Amino acid sequence: MAFLDLDGLTVHVQRLGPQDGGPPAATAVLLHGLLTDSLASFYFTLAPALSAAGVEVLMYDQRGHGRSGRPATGYRLEQFVDDLEALLDRLELTGPVHLLGNSFGGTVAFGLAARRPEQVVSILAVESEPASPAWAAKLDGLLRRAERELPQDATLAWVTEQHGAHTARLARSASRLLSGTTLARDIPASLLPAEAELRAIRCPVLAVYGTESDLAEQSDWLDELLPGCRSTFVAGQEHSVLIEAPDVVRELALFWLEEHGADLRDPTARLEGSVG
Amino acid sequence: MTTSGQTLDQHGPTEQEVLSEITTMLAALLDEYGLDDAEVTMESRFTGDLELESIDLVTLAGQLQERWGDRINFAEFIAGMELDEIIDLTVGRLVDYVVDRLRTAGRS
Repeated sequence: MAFLDLDGLTVHVQRLGPQDGGPPAATAVLLHGLLTDSLASFYFTLAPALSAAGVEVLMYDQRGHGRSGRPATGYRLEQFVDDLEALLDRLELTGPVHLLGNSFGGTVAFGLAARRPEQVVSILAVESEPASPAWAAKLDGLLRRAERELPQDATLAWVTEQHGAHTARLARSASRLLSGTTLARDIPASLLPAEAELRAIRCPVLAVYGTESDLAEQSDWLDELLPGCRSTFVAGQEHSVLIEAPDVVRELALFWLEEHGADLRDPTARLEGSVG
Repeated sequence: MTTSGQTLDQHGPTEQEVLSEITTMLAALLDEYGLDDAEVTMESRFTGDLELESIDLVTLAGQLQERWGDRINFAEFIAGMELDEIIDLTVGRLVDYVVDRLRTAGRS
Protein backbone atom coordinates (compact mmCIF):
# COMPACT_ATOMS: atom_id res chain seq x y z
CA MET A 1 0.00 0.00 0.00
CA ALA A 2 1.20 3.46 -0.74
CA PHE A 3 -0.02 7.00 -0.82
CA LEU A 4 1.45 9.15 -3.57
CA ASP A 5 1.19 12.89 -3.90
CA LEU A 6 0.31 13.73 -7.49
CA ASP A 7 0.47 17.49 -7.82
CA GLY A 8 -1.32 18.02 -4.51
CA LEU A 9 -3.72 15.10 -4.81
CA THR A 10 -3.14 12.16 -2.44
CA VAL A 11 -3.61 8.95 -4.39
CA HIS A 12 -4.04 5.57 -2.71
CA VAL A 13 -2.18 2.95 -4.73
CA GLN A 14 -2.02 -0.82 -4.38
CA ARG A 15 0.47 -2.80 -6.45
CA LEU A 16 0.47 -6.56 -6.67
CA GLY A 17 3.41 -8.22 -8.36
CA PRO A 18 3.44 -11.69 -9.90
CA GLN A 19 2.63 -14.09 -7.04
CA ASP A 20 5.60 -16.35 -7.84
CA GLY A 21 8.02 -13.42 -7.72
CA GLY A 22 9.06 -14.04 -11.33
CA PRO A 23 9.22 -11.51 -14.16
CA PRO A 24 5.82 -9.99 -15.04
CA ALA A 25 3.97 -11.58 -17.95
CA ALA A 26 2.25 -8.22 -18.53
CA THR A 27 1.28 -5.05 -16.69
CA ALA A 28 -2.39 -4.39 -16.03
CA VAL A 29 -3.90 -1.19 -14.66
CA LEU A 30 -7.31 -1.63 -13.04
CA LEU A 31 -9.65 1.37 -13.16
CA HIS A 32 -12.73 1.50 -10.96
CA GLY A 33 -16.01 3.30 -11.55
CA LEU A 34 -17.78 6.36 -10.08
CA LEU A 35 -19.46 6.97 -6.73
CA THR A 36 -19.85 3.57 -5.04
CA ASP A 37 -16.66 2.10 -6.48
CA SER A 38 -13.05 1.93 -5.28
CA LEU A 39 -10.00 -0.21 -5.90
CA ALA A 40 -11.50 -2.70 -3.40
CA SER A 41 -13.81 -3.87 -6.20
CA PHE A 42 -10.71 -5.26 -7.95
CA TYR A 43 -8.67 -6.09 -4.87
CA PHE A 44 -11.18 -8.74 -3.83
CA THR A 45 -12.13 -10.00 -7.31
CA LEU A 46 -9.74 -9.77 -10.25
CA ALA A 47 -6.38 -8.75 -8.77
CA PRO A 48 -5.45 -12.00 -6.95
CA ALA A 49 -6.12 -14.09 -10.08
CA LEU A 50 -4.06 -11.76 -12.28
CA SER A 51 -1.19 -11.83 -9.80
CA ALA A 52 -1.33 -15.63 -9.67
CA ALA A 53 -1.15 -15.69 -13.47
CA GLY A 54 2.07 -13.66 -13.34
CA VAL A 55 0.64 -10.24 -14.14
CA GLU A 56 1.91 -7.08 -12.48
CA VAL A 57 -1.22 -5.33 -11.20
CA LEU A 58 -1.62 -1.63 -10.48
CA MET A 59 -4.76 -0.45 -8.70
CA TYR A 60 -5.54 3.00 -7.38
CA ASP A 61 -8.46 4.93 -5.93
CA GLN A 62 -9.59 7.60 -8.38
CA ARG A 63 -9.87 11.18 -7.08
CA GLY A 64 -12.65 11.60 -4.53
CA HIS A 65 -13.01 7.84 -4.08
CA GLY A 66 -11.80 5.22 -1.60
CA ARG A 67 -8.78 6.41 0.36
CA SER A 68 -7.56 8.95 -2.17
CA GLY A 69 -7.95 12.66 -1.63
CA ARG A 70 -11.28 14.39 -2.20
CA PRO A 71 -10.79 17.90 -3.57
CA ALA A 72 -13.97 20.01 -3.57
CA THR A 73 -13.69 20.61 -7.32
CA GLY A 74 -11.94 19.14 -10.36
CA TYR A 75 -13.90 16.08 -11.49
CA ARG A 76 -14.01 16.42 -15.25
CA LEU A 77 -13.06 13.27 -17.15
CA GLU A 78 -9.83 14.79 -18.46
CA GLN A 79 -8.70 15.33 -14.87
CA PHE A 80 -9.16 11.63 -14.10
CA VAL A 81 -7.12 10.82 -17.24
CA ASP A 82 -4.48 13.35 -16.11
CA ASP A 83 -4.23 11.41 -12.82
CA LEU A 84 -3.67 8.13 -14.64
CA GLU A 85 -0.96 9.67 -16.83
CA ALA A 86 0.74 11.26 -13.83
CA LEU A 87 0.59 7.99 -11.90
CA LEU A 88 2.14 5.95 -14.72
CA ASP A 89 4.90 8.54 -15.06
CA ARG A 90 5.52 8.69 -11.32
CA LEU A 91 5.80 4.90 -11.09
CA GLU A 92 7.98 4.90 -14.22
CA LEU A 93 5.59 2.53 -15.95
CA THR A 94 6.54 3.67 -19.42
CA GLY A 95 6.17 0.29 -21.14
CA PRO A 96 3.04 -1.23 -22.62
CA VAL A 97 0.02 -1.57 -20.31
CA HIS A 98 -3.31 -3.35 -20.52
CA LEU A 99 -6.18 -1.30 -19.12
CA LEU A 100 -9.10 -2.99 -17.40
CA GLY A 101 -11.87 -0.58 -16.57
CA ASN A 102 -15.18 -1.00 -14.77
CA SER A 103 -17.93 1.41 -15.89
CA PHE A 104 -16.46 4.95 -15.68
CA GLY A 105 -13.02 3.32 -15.26
CA GLY A 106 -13.37 2.12 -18.86
CA THR A 107 -14.20 5.67 -19.94
CA VAL A 108 -10.91 6.76 -18.35
CA ALA A 109 -9.16 3.88 -20.17
CA PHE A 110 -10.48 5.07 -23.56
CA GLY A 111 -9.31 8.57 -22.60
CA LEU A 112 -5.76 7.34 -22.02
CA ALA A 113 -5.76 5.22 -25.19
CA ALA A 114 -6.65 8.34 -27.20
CA ARG A 115 -3.76 10.25 -25.58
CA ARG A 116 -1.14 7.49 -25.51
CA PRO A 117 -1.91 5.05 -28.31
CA GLU A 118 1.63 3.71 -28.22
CA GLN A 119 1.40 2.66 -24.57
CA VAL A 120 -2.05 1.07 -24.34
CA VAL A 121 -1.86 -2.53 -25.62
CA SER A 122 -5.48 -3.42 -25.01
CA ILE A 123 -8.62 -2.37 -23.15
CA LEU A 124 -11.07 -4.60 -21.37
CA ALA A 125 -14.08 -2.45 -20.61
CA VAL A 126 -16.75 -3.86 -18.31
CA GLU A 127 -20.10 -2.12 -18.69
CA SER A 128 -18.45 0.96 -20.07
CA GLU A 129 -18.26 3.36 -22.97
CA PRO A 130 -16.01 6.14 -24.25
CA ALA A 131 -17.04 9.71 -23.54
CA SER A 132 -19.46 11.23 -26.07
CA PRO A 133 -22.28 13.80 -26.02
CA ALA A 134 -24.74 10.97 -25.35
CA TRP A 135 -22.57 9.71 -22.47
CA ALA A 136 -22.38 13.21 -20.94
CA ALA A 137 -26.15 13.65 -21.15
CA LYS A 138 -26.80 10.24 -19.62
CA LEU A 139 -24.31 10.80 -16.79
CA ASP A 140 -25.88 14.21 -16.11
CA GLY A 141 -29.24 12.53 -15.61
CA LEU A 142 -27.85 9.69 -13.50
CA LEU A 143 -25.81 11.99 -11.27
CA ARG A 144 -28.69 14.42 -10.73
CA ARG A 145 -30.92 11.52 -9.78
CA ALA A 146 -28.28 10.13 -7.42
CA GLU A 147 -27.82 13.54 -5.82
CA ARG A 148 -31.55 13.84 -5.26
CA GLU A 149 -32.34 10.29 -4.16
CA LEU A 150 -29.29 8.99 -2.28
CA PRO A 151 -29.79 11.25 0.77
CA GLN A 152 -33.33 9.89 1.24
CA ASP A 153 -33.97 7.21 3.84
CA ALA A 154 -36.42 5.48 1.53
CA THR A 155 -33.73 5.08 -1.12
CA LEU A 156 -31.26 3.60 1.34
CA ALA A 157 -33.91 1.24 2.69
CA TRP A 158 -34.62 0.09 -0.86
CA VAL A 159 -30.91 -0.39 -1.62
CA THR A 160 -30.48 -2.38 1.60
CA GLU A 161 -33.42 -4.60 0.72
CA GLN A 162 -32.38 -5.14 -2.90
CA HIS A 163 -28.60 -5.20 -2.65
CA GLY A 164 -27.70 -5.64 1.02
CA ALA A 165 -26.14 -3.61 3.83
CA HIS A 166 -22.75 -3.20 2.19
CA THR A 167 -24.14 -1.63 -0.99
CA ALA A 168 -26.26 0.67 1.19
CA ARG A 169 -23.08 1.63 3.04
CA LEU A 170 -21.40 2.44 -0.29
CA ALA A 171 -24.46 4.43 -1.32
CA ARG A 172 -24.14 6.59 1.80
CA SER A 173 -20.49 7.27 0.94
CA ALA A 174 -21.49 8.12 -2.62
CA SER A 175 -24.00 10.60 -1.27
CA ARG A 176 -21.26 12.32 0.75
CA LEU A 177 -19.04 12.47 -2.33
CA LEU A 178 -21.84 14.12 -4.31
CA SER A 179 -22.76 16.63 -1.59
CA GLY A 180 -19.15 17.51 -0.79
CA THR A 181 -17.82 18.04 -4.30
CA THR A 182 -18.73 19.40 -7.73
CA LEU A 183 -18.47 15.91 -9.28
CA ALA A 184 -22.09 15.82 -10.46
CA ARG A 185 -21.64 19.14 -12.30
CA ASP A 186 -18.13 18.39 -13.55
CA ILE A 187 -18.57 15.00 -15.21
CA PRO A 188 -21.18 16.21 -17.74
CA ALA A 189 -18.95 19.26 -18.43
CA SER A 190 -15.99 17.07 -19.40
CA LEU A 191 -14.03 17.73 -22.58
CA LEU A 192 -15.57 15.32 -25.05
CA PRO A 193 -13.41 13.65 -27.68
CA ALA A 194 -14.40 14.17 -31.32
CA GLU A 195 -15.61 11.01 -33.03
CA ALA A 196 -12.43 11.00 -35.14
CA GLU A 197 -10.35 10.84 -31.96
CA LEU A 198 -12.28 7.79 -30.79
CA ARG A 199 -11.99 6.11 -34.20
CA ALA A 200 -8.25 6.59 -33.88
CA ILE A 201 -8.18 4.18 -30.92
CA ARG A 202 -6.81 1.15 -32.76
CA CYS A 203 -5.90 -1.15 -29.86
CA PRO A 204 -7.91 -4.31 -29.27
CA VAL A 205 -10.96 -3.70 -27.07
CA LEU A 206 -13.14 -6.26 -25.35
CA ALA A 207 -16.43 -4.72 -24.27
CA VAL A 208 -18.23 -6.78 -21.62
CA TYR A 209 -21.93 -6.20 -20.97
CA GLY A 210 -24.60 -7.71 -18.77
CA THR A 211 -27.43 -8.93 -20.99
CA GLU A 212 -29.92 -7.13 -18.72
CA SER A 213 -28.03 -3.83 -18.75
CA ASP A 214 -29.25 -0.76 -20.68
CA LEU A 215 -25.70 -0.33 -21.90
CA ALA A 216 -25.75 -3.58 -23.90
CA GLU A 217 -27.73 -1.77 -26.60
CA GLN A 218 -24.69 0.30 -27.51
CA SER A 219 -22.54 -2.72 -28.44
CA ASP A 220 -23.18 -2.47 -32.20
CA TRP A 221 -22.35 1.24 -32.14
CA LEU A 222 -19.07 0.70 -30.26
CA ASP A 223 -18.05 -2.32 -32.37
CA GLU A 224 -18.53 -0.16 -35.47
CA LEU A 225 -16.80 2.90 -34.00
CA LEU A 226 -13.64 1.17 -32.77
CA PRO A 227 -11.90 -1.01 -35.35
CA GLY A 228 -10.40 -3.34 -32.72
CA CYS A 229 -13.55 -3.79 -30.63
CA ARG A 230 -15.61 -6.88 -30.02
CA SER A 231 -18.36 -7.44 -27.50
CA THR A 232 -19.27 -10.22 -25.13
CA PHE A 233 -22.35 -10.59 -22.95
CA VAL A 234 -22.76 -12.06 -19.48
CA ALA A 235 -26.14 -13.72 -19.15
CA GLY A 236 -28.57 -12.46 -16.55
CA GLN A 237 -26.39 -9.61 -15.34
CA GLU A 238 -27.19 -5.92 -15.07
CA HIS A 239 -24.59 -3.16 -14.60
CA SER A 240 -22.66 -4.72 -11.67
CA VAL A 241 -21.07 -7.52 -13.70
CA LEU A 242 -17.70 -7.26 -11.96
CA ILE A 243 -19.15 -7.63 -8.47
CA GLU A 244 -21.98 -10.02 -9.29
CA ALA A 245 -20.10 -12.33 -11.70
CA PRO A 246 -16.42 -12.04 -10.71
CA ASP A 247 -15.62 -15.59 -11.85
CA VAL A 248 -16.78 -14.80 -15.39
CA VAL A 249 -14.82 -11.52 -15.50
CA ARG A 250 -11.68 -13.30 -14.20
CA GLU A 251 -11.82 -15.90 -16.96
CA LEU A 252 -12.53 -13.28 -19.63
CA ALA A 253 -9.63 -11.13 -18.41
CA LEU A 254 -7.13 -13.99 -18.32
CA PHE A 255 -8.06 -15.21 -21.81
CA TRP A 256 -8.03 -11.63 -23.09
CA LEU A 257 -4.53 -10.89 -21.77
CA GLU A 258 -3.25 -14.20 -23.13
CA GLU A 259 -4.79 -13.45 -26.52
CA HIS A 260 -2.95 -10.12 -26.55
CA GLY A 261 0.52 -11.30 -25.86
CA ALA A 262 0.73 -11.97 -22.12
CA ASP A 263 2.66 -15.17 -21.51
CA LEU A 264 0.66 -16.18 -18.44
CA ARG A 265 1.84 -18.72 -15.88
CA ASP A 266 0.73 -22.32 -16.08
CA PRO A 267 -2.94 -23.28 -15.80
CA THR A 268 -2.46 -24.56 -12.24
CA ALA A 269 -1.43 -21.12 -11.06
CA ARG A 270 -4.38 -19.62 -12.91
CA LEU A 271 -6.80 -22.00 -11.28
CA GLU A 272 -5.42 -21.29 -7.80
CA GLY A 273 -5.69 -17.58 -8.44
CA SER A 274 -9.18 -17.75 -9.76
CA VAL A 275 -10.61 -19.25 -6.59
CA GLY A 276 -9.55 -16.13 -4.67
CA MET B 1 9.17 -10.40 29.93
CA THR B 2 11.84 -12.86 28.83
CA THR B 3 9.90 -15.86 30.07
CA SER B 4 6.56 -14.80 28.61
CA GLY B 5 8.29 -13.70 25.39
CA GLN B 6 9.60 -17.23 25.03
CA THR B 7 6.13 -18.60 25.61
CA LEU B 8 4.75 -16.30 22.93
CA ASP B 9 7.35 -17.46 20.43
CA GLN B 10 6.33 -21.04 20.97
CA HIS B 11 2.58 -20.69 21.10
CA GLY B 12 1.86 -17.33 19.52
CA PRO B 13 -0.46 -14.70 21.00
CA THR B 14 -3.81 -15.73 22.44
CA GLU B 15 -7.17 -15.07 20.84
CA GLN B 16 -7.76 -12.28 23.34
CA GLU B 17 -4.45 -10.60 22.49
CA VAL B 18 -5.07 -10.74 18.74
CA LEU B 19 -8.66 -9.52 19.16
CA SER B 20 -7.34 -6.60 21.17
CA GLU B 21 -4.84 -5.63 18.46
CA ILE B 22 -7.35 -6.00 15.64
CA THR B 23 -9.87 -3.99 17.69
CA THR B 24 -7.35 -1.15 17.84
CA MET B 25 -6.91 -1.29 14.04
CA LEU B 26 -10.67 -1.32 13.51
CA ALA B 27 -11.17 1.51 16.01
CA ALA B 28 -8.91 3.75 13.91
CA LEU B 29 -11.01 2.97 10.81
CA LEU B 30 -14.29 3.46 12.66
CA ASP B 31 -13.07 6.69 14.17
CA GLU B 32 -12.89 8.20 10.68
CA TYR B 33 -16.62 7.57 10.35
CA GLY B 34 -17.31 9.04 13.80
CA LEU B 35 -18.24 5.60 15.13
CA ASP B 36 -15.63 5.54 17.88
CA ASP B 37 -18.01 4.06 20.44
CA ALA B 38 -18.77 0.91 18.40
CA GLU B 39 -18.04 -2.24 20.38
CA VAL B 40 -15.90 -4.84 18.61
CA THR B 41 -16.40 -8.48 19.60
CA MET B 42 -15.60 -11.84 18.03
CA GLU B 43 -19.17 -11.89 16.70
CA SER B 44 -19.09 -8.42 15.09
CA ARG B 45 -19.61 -8.52 11.32
CA PHE B 46 -17.46 -6.17 9.25
CA THR B 47 -20.37 -4.59 7.41
CA GLY B 48 -23.51 -5.73 9.25
CA ASP B 49 -22.32 -4.53 12.67
CA LEU B 50 -19.28 -2.31 12.16
CA GLU B 51 -20.54 -0.71 8.92
CA LEU B 52 -17.16 -1.01 7.25
CA GLU B 53 -16.77 -0.66 3.49
CA SER B 54 -14.77 -2.95 1.26
CA ILE B 55 -12.03 -0.31 0.97
CA ASP B 56 -11.66 -0.42 4.78
CA LEU B 57 -10.83 -4.11 4.52
CA VAL B 58 -8.07 -3.26 2.03
CA THR B 59 -6.65 -0.90 4.66
CA LEU B 60 -7.06 -3.55 7.37
CA ALA B 61 -5.17 -6.07 5.18
CA GLY B 62 -2.28 -3.58 4.97
CA GLN B 63 -2.28 -3.08 8.74
CA LEU B 64 -2.22 -6.83 9.39
CA GLN B 65 0.76 -7.14 7.06
CA GLU B 66 2.49 -4.24 8.78
CA ARG B 67 1.95 -5.76 12.21
CA TRP B 68 2.72 -9.42 11.55
CA GLY B 69 4.55 -9.40 8.22
CA ASP B 70 4.32 -12.17 5.66
CA ARG B 71 3.06 -14.66 8.25
CA ILE B 72 -0.37 -13.10 7.72
CA ASN B 73 -1.57 -13.31 4.16
CA PHE B 74 -4.95 -11.64 3.71
CA ALA B 75 -5.21 -12.97 0.15
CA GLU B 76 -4.87 -16.50 1.52
CA PHE B 77 -7.43 -15.76 4.22
CA ILE B 78 -10.05 -14.67 1.68
CA ALA B 79 -9.17 -17.24 -1.00
CA GLY B 80 -12.28 -18.95 -2.27
CA MET B 81 -14.59 -16.21 -1.01
CA GLU B 82 -16.37 -13.60 -3.07
CA LEU B 83 -16.70 -9.98 -2.00
CA ASP B 84 -20.16 -10.37 -0.46
CA GLU B 85 -18.92 -13.20 1.77
CA ILE B 86 -15.74 -11.32 2.73
CA ILE B 87 -17.54 -8.20 3.90
CA ASP B 88 -20.01 -10.35 5.85
CA LEU B 89 -17.27 -12.15 7.83
CA THR B 90 -17.08 -11.84 11.60
CA VAL B 91 -14.07 -10.33 13.34
CA GLY B 92 -13.74 -13.72 15.05
CA ARG B 93 -13.02 -15.49 11.74
CA LEU B 94 -10.12 -13.14 11.12
CA VAL B 95 -8.86 -13.42 14.71
CA ASP B 96 -8.94 -17.24 14.45
CA TYR B 97 -6.98 -17.13 11.21
CA VAL B 98 -4.33 -14.81 12.65
CA VAL B 99 -3.98 -16.87 15.87
CA ASP B 100 -3.69 -20.05 13.82
CA ARG B 101 -1.12 -18.63 11.40
CA LEU B 102 1.04 -17.15 14.17
CA ARG B 103 0.94 -20.40 16.08
CA THR B 104 2.00 -22.38 12.97
CA ALA B 105 4.65 -19.83 12.06
CA GLY B 106 5.91 -19.92 15.67
CA ARG B 107 6.51 -23.66 15.45
CA SER B 108 8.41 -23.57 12.20
